[in-house]
Amino acid sequence: MTYTELIKTPTPSPSRKTGRNRTSQAVAWVASRGIFVFTGALLVFSAIFVHGFASSVNIIDVFHRASAIGIVAIGMTFVVISANYIDLSVVAQIATSGVILMALSPEFGILGAMGIALFFALLYGVVNGVSVGFLKANAVVVTLGTTGIGVGILSLVSGGTIFYGPVGGPIDAFGDARVGPFPLSAFVLIAVAIVAGIVLSRTKFGFMIRSYGSNKQATRLAGVNSGGVVVGAFVLTALAAMIAGFVLAAYSNTAVSTMSDGYDFRALAAVIIGGNSLFGGRGSILRTLVGVIFISVLSNILVLSGFSFAWQQLVTGAVIVFAVALDALARKAEKR
Amino acid sequence: MSTEPDAQATRKTVLEAHNIVKRFGGAVAVDHVSITVGAGEIHAVVGENGAGKSTLMRILAGILEPDEGGVSVDGSVLEPGAKASLEAGIALVHQELSLIPEMTVAENILLGVTPTKFGVIDSVRQRKIAGDALDQIGVSVDLNEPVSRLSMALRQFVEIARAVARNPRVLILDEPTATLTPAETDYLLSMLQRLAARGLAIIYISHRIPEVFRICERATILRDGQVVEVMVIAETTPNAVIDKMVGRELKLDLQTRRVANPGAVVLSARGIQASRVNGINLDVRAGEIVGIGGLVGAGRSELVRAIIGVDPRTAGTATITVDGRTTNINGYGNAVRSGIAFVPEERRTEGLALNMTVAENITLPNRAALSTAGFLQRGKIAQFAMRLAEVVGLRPPKVDREAGEYSGGNQQKVVIAKWLGREPKLIVLDEPTRGVDVGAKAEIHRLLRELADQGTAVLVVSSDLPELLELSDVIHVVRDGRIMGTLSPDEANERSVMALAAGEKVARSS
Repeated sequence: MTYTELIKTPTPSPSRKTGRNRTSQAVAWVASRGIFVFTGALLVFSAIFVHGFASSVNIIDVFHRASAIGIVAIGMTFVVISANYIDLSVVAQIATSGVILMALSPEFGILGAMGIALFFALLYGVVNGVSVGFLKANAVVVTLGTTGIGVGILSLVSGGTIFYGPVGGPIDAFGDARVGPFPLSAFVLIAVAIVAGIVLSRTKFGFMIRSYGSNKQATRLAGVNSGGVVVGAFVLTALAAMIAGFVLAAYSNTAVSTMSDGYDFRALAAVIIGGNSLFGGRGSILRTLVGVIFISVLSNILVLSGFSFAWQQLVTGAVIVFAVALDALARKAEKR
Repeated sequence: MSTEPDAQATRKTVLEAHNIVKRFGGAVAVDHVSITVGAGEIHAVVGENGAGKSTLMRILAGILEPDEGGVSVDGSVLEPGAKASLEAGIALVHQELSLIPEMTVAENILLGVTPTKFGVIDSVRQRKIAGDALDQIGVSVDLNEPVSRLSMALRQFVEIARAVARNPRVLILDEPTATLTPAETDYLLSMLQRLAARGLAIIYISHRIPEVFRICERATILRDGQVVEVMVIAETTPNAVIDKMVGRELKLDLQTRRVANPGAVVLSARGIQASRVNGINLDVRAGEIVGIGGLVGAGRSELVRAIIGVDPRTAGTATITVDGRTTNINGYGNAVRSGIAFVPEERRTEGLALNMTVAENITLPNRAALSTAGFLQRGKIAQFAMRLAEVVGLRPPKVDREAGEYSGGNQQKVVIAKWLGREPKLIVLDEPTRGVDVGAKAEIHRLLRELADQGTAVLVVSSDLPELLELSDVIHVVRDGRIMGTLSPDEANERSVMALAAGEKVARSS
C-alpha cells in the first residue's frame, strides 16, 4: 500500500449527473480538485520564476516551517470534518506544550515534561470537546475563551520568560538533525499524517467523525454517542497541537508564551485551502497536506521576492476568502 | 348556527380564486380549485392530510405562485407576490407560529410595518397600533412582554392581532386551534365570529369538524387537490362532511391481510408525557404491527419519539423486554442497544447522510459488528451492505454509490436496511412511505409484514390511511397527544379512524 493510498480518505465527489448546468459543475470541480492543480502550478511557477526557490537551503527551510503548521492543521482537520467546528485554541496549546517541554525538562527530564504537556493537551481537548459536544456551545467562542485562559495562565506563570534549552542537549540535537537534506520535523509531520490518515479513513472512530460531520441528526439517530465523537475530535486536535509545540520548541531550542502567534490562522488556512469543507463531512488528511504545501510555498516566495509580513497576511487572507467562498458556492450548486 | 339559506346570495364577494392549479414536479398539489368568500363569511376549507389545503392558502397569500388561475380581491386581480397580496388585504395566520420570541408583543405585531419617525422607530405609535389590534380581537396582554414568555394560546392570539393590525379584507387561519385547550379554542372561535360580524371574510382551515360546524357558513371540501364539494353547513351533517373528505370506498384487500400471531409484550409504555404528548399507555407485542393514526399536529411523531427516548419525556416510563429480560428505556442510546430500530419521519435530514455511500450509511448503526479492535473491516462491510441491499430490494444494488443519488423509495430502503443489520426486536417507523413511489411502497409493506411474521414487534406512524389500515393489527388514533380510541382490524376503516382523529363521536359498528 502506498503512502498516498494510506492517507487519502475517500472524498465523495460533489458532482452528480442529474440536471446540473455547466457553471455549477465547473464550480464543484474547482472546489473539489482545484487545489491540486493550483498547488502544482504554484510549485512550477516558483521553481521557474522565483529566484532562490529551488535551492536546497530554501527547500529545507520550507519543510521546517511547514512541519509545525502541518501537524497542527492535520489535527484541526478532525474538528473541521466533524461538523464545521474550528479550534482556535491551538495557539495556546502549542505554546503550553512548548514552554512546558523547555521549562520543565531540567527538573523532570524530557519524558516527564512531555507527560505533563500531555496532561494539559488532554485537558484542553476535553474542556473544548465537552463544551461544544455536550453543552452545545459555539466552537469559535469556546475555543477563543480557552485560548484566553491558556495564554493568560501561561504568561502569568512564565512571566514572559524565554526558556532556552542547553546547547547540544537532546532537544537541540533533535531540532538540528537531518536525514539527508530533510529535517527530522518533516518525518514527524509525515508520521502524524499517516497515523491521522489511518484514524480518519480506517477506524470506527474516524468513520463516526465523518458521519457526524455529514449529518449530525442521522448519526445520533443511529445510536452514536455524538457528544463523545466531538470530544474525541477535539482531543485529537489537542494531541497534534502538543506535538507541534514540541517540534517548534526543538527547532529553535527555545520556548516562550508567544511562540505560536498566528498558528491558528495559518493552520485553519491550510485546512480550508486544501478543500476540506467547513460544512463538515468532506475532506481528507491529504487535502490538508496539500493546503499546507500551498500556503507554505506561497509565503516562502513572498519572502524571497521581498514582500513584507503584512503582504503575506494579506495574500493568505485573500486566498482563504476565495477558498471558503468556493466551498459555499459548490455546496449551493450541489443543492440545485 | 342559524343561517338564512339565501344569506350567501346577499353577501358581497370579497375573495375569489379561479381555477387555481399548482404542480410540484410531476405531482399536482392543487387541481383547478375555485373558491369564493363573501364579506362577513367564515368559510371552512377541510380535507385529509395532503389534500392541498396549505398549498392553496399559500397561493392565496401570494407566497406561492400558481401555475394556472388567479386570485382577486373585491374584483381586482392580484399581482404575484406576497407583498401585493398583503397590500390587497389578504392576511395569513400561519400554522407554524412565525413570531420572534425575543421581541416584545408590540414589536411582533408590527413586524415588517414598524412605524418610524425621522428614521427612528416610533414606539408610541407602535404600541398604539398594536394595542388597537389587540383590543379588536378582545385580548389583553402586556405590550412590552417578550413573546417567549407567553403561553402558546397567547402567542396564537398575538399572531392573529398581527394580521388584524394590517386592516385586512380577508383573514386566513391555518389550523389555529391545533395547540389550544378547549377553553382557549372557545375564545378563539367567538373572536372569529366577532371579526366576521364586522365584515371580514375569514377562511378557516381545520381538521376539527365540530369547530367547523360551530362557526362556519360553508365548507369547501378538498381531496387530492380537487374540490369535492362546497357544502352549506346548515344543510349537512358532520358524518356527511367526513364521508366527502375520505371519499374512497373501503378498498381494503382482505387477501393481503396477514394473520397476526402476537407473542409476548416487547415494548410497554406507561403514562408518557412530553411536549404535545399528554399521557400515553401503549404496548407492542412480538409479531404485531401496531399503527398510530391521527391528523398532522396530533402528536403522533412526538409520542413515539418520547417513548424511545429520541426526545425527552417529562413523565412516564417505557420498557423493552427481550428474551425475558426487561430494560428500562431511559435514553435513545439505551433504546438502540436494547434492540430498538428507528426510521424517522425526515429521511433526508434524520435518516441518512446523503453524501455518504449506501455502504457507509449501512455501516453506521452496525459499526461495532463491522470493526475489529477499532478498525473497520472493509471487505466485511461490502458484503454485509450488499446482503442487506438485496434483502430490501435496493435498485440498482450499488452500495458504493452516494445515498443522495437514489430515489426517495430506494433511500427509504437504505434506512430500513441499515437497521435490519442489527436484527431489531422492535422497529419504529415514522411515515415509512412518505414521498415513496407505489412500487417501493408495496415492497416496504411486504418487508414490514415479513418482519412481523418473523416475530419482530413493529410500531408504525402514518398519515396515509390506506397504509395504516392495510398494515396494522391494531390502530391507536391520537388527538391532542392522547389516544382517543383503539380500533381492531374489524372496526377500522377510513371513516372510523377519521372520526376519532377529527374529534367527531361516531357509533362503532360492530
